[in-house]
Amino acid sequence: MRAREVPFDIANIPGQETGRIVSAEVAAALISASHRPLLVVGSEAMRDEFFVEKAIEMGEKGVAIAATGKSIRGFMRKGYKKVQYFNLHDITNRLRDPDWKGIDGNGNHDTVIFFGILYYYASQMLSCLKNFALNPLIRTISIDRYYHPNARFTFPNIESDEEYKKMIEKVVELVKR
Amino acid sequence: MEEIFKRGVLTLEGFENVRIFIGKIEEEEEEWEPMGPTPMPAISTIRSWDFKLLRRYKPFYAPFCDFCCLCTFGKCDLTGNKKGACGIRMDAQQGRIVLLACIIGCSAHCGHGRHMLHELKRKFGDVEIDFGPEVDIEAPLTRLICGIKPRRISDYERVFDYVEEELVQLSDALHTGQEGSYLDFESKALHVGMLDSLSKEAADIIQMAAYGMPSSKEGGGPDVPLVEVGMGVADTTKAVILVIGHNVVPAASIADHMEESGHEEEIELVGICCTAHDVTRYKPKAKIISALGRQLRVIRAGIADVIVVDEQCIRADVVESASRVHSPVIATNEKAMHGLEDRTDDPADEIVEDLVSERVPGVVILDAEKVGEVAVKTALRMKDKRRKMRIILSDEEFQRWVGECIQCGSCTLACPLGLRIGEANAKAASGNKEALASLFDICVGCGRCEQVCKKNIPIIDVITKAAHPQIKEERGKIRVGRGPIWDSEIREVGAPIVLGTIPGVIAPIGCGNYPNGTKDAWLIVEEFASRNYIVTLTGCMAIDAALWKDEEGKTVYEKYHGRFDAGGVLNIGSCVANAHIHGAAIKIAAIFARRKLRANYEEIADYILNRVGACGVAWGAMSQKAASIATGFNRLGVPAVVGPHGTKYRRAFLGRSDIEEDWIIFDARDGSEVRIEPAPEHLLVACETVEEALPMIAKLCFRPSDTDRGRSIKLTHYIDLHEKYLGCLPEDWWLFVRTAADLPIARRDELLKRLEDEHGWVIDWKRKRIKEGPLRGYDPSFDPTNLRRLIRKK
Ligand code: SF4
Ligand code: SF4
Ligand code: SF4
Repeated sequence: MRAREVPFDIANIPGQETGRIVSAEVAAALISASHRPLLVVGSEAMRDEFFVEKAIEMGEKGVAIAATGKSIRGFMRKGYKKVQYFNLHDITNRLRDPDWKGIDGNGNHDTVIFFGILYYYASQMLSCLKNFALNPLIRTISIDRYYHPNARFTFPNIESDEEYKKMIEKVVELVKR
Repeated sequence: MEEIFKRGVLTLEGFENVRIFIGKIEEEEEEWEPMGPTPMPAISTIRSWDFKLLRRYKPFYAPFCDFCCLCTFGKCDLTGNKKGACGIRMDAQQGRIVLLACIIGCSAHCGHGRHMLHELKRKFGDVEIDFGPEVDIEAPLTRLICGIKPRRISDYERVFDYVEEELVQLSDALHTGQEGSYLDFESKALHVGMLDSLSKEAADIIQMAAYGMPSSKEGGGPDVPLVEVGMGVADTTKAVILVIGHNVVPAASIADHMEESGHEEEIELVGICCTAHDVTRYKPKAKIISALGRQLRVIRAGIADVIVVDEQCIRADVVESASRVHSPVIATNEKAMHGLEDRTDDPADEIVEDLVSERVPGVVILDAEKVGEVAVKTALRMKDKRRKMRIILSDEEFQRWVGECIQCGSCTLACPLGLRIGEANAKAASGNKEALASLFDICVGCGRCEQVCKKNIPIIDVITKAAHPQIKEERGKIRVGRGPIWDSEIREVGAPIVLGTIPGVIAPIGCGNYPNGTKDAWLIVEEFASRNYIVTLTGCMAIDAALWKDEEGKTVYEKYHGRFDAGGVLNIGSCVANAHIHGAAIKIAAIFARRKLRANYEEIADYILNRVGACGVAWGAMSQKAASIATGFNRLGVPAVVGPHGTKYRRAFLGRSDIEEDWIIFDARDGSEVRIEPAPEHLLVACETVEEALPMIAKLCFRPSDTDRGRSIKLTHYIDLHEKYLGCLPEDWWLFVRTAADLPIARRDELLKRLEDEHGWVIDWKRKRIKEGPLRGYDPSFDPTNLRRLIRKK
């Protein structure tokens, strides 16, 4: 990790507020402390079964899951049903609306965790939430292997896949609901 | 004098710019149709239509930058929807940037059209517009927006006057302290989108008329010839002239000069992007070497003995890149002169001498005929010289470069796609080039990686070298751009499209900034053509879809017919030809439904939104033109799906299927309010991957007017594509069911059961009917409209 982290797409410096880098432990603590977390799992999670398995473990701990892009296929293959497909634009649009009933009909979410999403698409959606999902505020956490300046909390850029997998393992292990 | 009587135009000698119109034109126009309510609408004229769209498809903003730095009050930090010093909020600022992008895009089309009008009128005179026996409605957008039925190309003077005035007013609205509401910025952007569609139509009609490009005359329409496409098609035993851009005039002049000077057999004329489309529409002997995404790589591969650039989407470093491989550059358009000396007035042979001796890296020549002569002479001489040079990397150089890589990852951070080039280099260094070669098609050829490489590795050349065997084999076929859809074709398919039995018109258009390479373009075409949708392509996507073949070695243009009918794959042509897709939708309303066309934008857009199951797909949208094109589709009631990079346009138009009041429209028969299904659900939406895009595109073809048979077909494809690519039934399939007959025939029982079990609907199993449950029942004579004024009985 660099002394000052750079966005994964290096010119993507949005402005004044930039994501705070957190460790796996802190990410897990933030998720555990939230009331209505939503895990948004994108297409990149499909690159290795490991990621879908870890998402399912989070789901089993009581974190609601929205599958965006093609990731729903990964959950279906594992026979996991407690997940709903959403288009990422669509679900972000709903999240920014305080009146949205949430993925389970019980009200909007207070914390959104981005996982396995194409970097630049995720970045734009995080920007929307940063700028427009304020009242009440939605806390965004990226647990992808990229530094995401538009997230409130984010991992740094992580070169090694092994190291990254360990971090994900740790997050899932430590999340308590 | 004759002209005054025939056309009502008086031009005085010495005052060629002054034209006096006499009342006769108006009289003639009365004959074809009475004038509609909104000829040449101004910014506010159709604003109420925009607001209807914006109420349902609320602008969604994802800022790309949290600051505004447009005036010296700033920079202002707008994070969190704060206001800047001028009072503008983040949401309005985003709308402002979108408007700016659309204005740039529309200006490109309008400027291009105006330039061609000047040039071609000078060259060919005031050419008559006649597209043959099957095209009576020659200019649907011009009639619809301006209320003009153009008879000669000079009729477009008035059209450009109108667009240019609007563009100035709209640009004015961008000034600090002008517009302050995001909704009004979006209404203005929609207005520009409409002007953009008009400008494209104008430009294409002018070039079609002047050059006799395919229309409904002999050999046109579905019968247009196939031409070669791909990086492997250039015959480098000949001298190669490469044309790049969008304005065909210089390229056409080169083709003419090749013929006239008898050098036709010694020269290959190849093109990139829309100039390539248009030059093949004029001379099908020319070839399309690539779309935009390969531009830098084609240049750097050193194929060209001379490069001729015109306008739009040309690399700003074209001269630098071309010099590296000793390809002289001729810039031919005032808008893109690249710092080169203007040699328009010098003798051709002198210019050729300077280019061949490489005393200068390139020249500006603003006279298209001279471009033709200089390009041909230069190419012939450069060929002899350049064939003695070695341009692409040798095996040893390749091995040395990949060995130099230290896997620092800087290139990955610079790459817009985050490609892991270092890893691929490491594999290549140990003898396996596959990973590096596989990057070739995904890479968008931007060159950002090379600039940050600490080892100065020419990454693009290294990837190109690794992929050399596949590049040599890249040889496809594409039907040349056919231009307008025929009125006779619309008469055949108008009913099946509106009823839904042809499930949709899919329009893959625009640039090549794809998330995962060109194969997605092919897959989109293949999936929908094989399902009997009509697929109409333009621009880079039309080219990229032709790079891939099926098991029998056929491209989609060889496999599918070129008629505007079920299962057709039509290359409409360049970006400006794209207007014919709008034109087809408009003609369905005018010819099939007999709606009044003249200056009647709002009603026709309302018709299209509710009845014409068309969907644009700009999977690699990159440019400002793509922004204005998509926005123009949207104002006309046609939704569009973009690739993930499209989120960087900052704005989407997203519907909310869960908010009931957004989906209430009128039944024009009696004015009753009807809650409809979310059809179409969004106007502009991005998908993450092609697997997600395919069912989304199918879904956006639903329309409230679908008959039960049509809905059943559309639902079949939506469900099938969802299951095929996403592995499950869509969550929302049931929203589109009004009656049992809407269900896919083969799965009726199973789906009825699901409606009963999962959604609590009441099913009459004896008669296999739905008794209770759907949002609304199916009424075959439902006449949907969003416009109160169209209600017949109040
Ligand atoms: S040229 Fe290709 S590999 Fe290099 S940064 Fe651009 S897209 Fe990435
Ligand atoms: S953002 Fe677009 S226009 Fe600007 S430098 Fe990059 S490629 Fe060029
Ligand atoms: S920047 Fe250069 S040295 Fe670093 S990984 Fe990329 S190619 Fe290798």
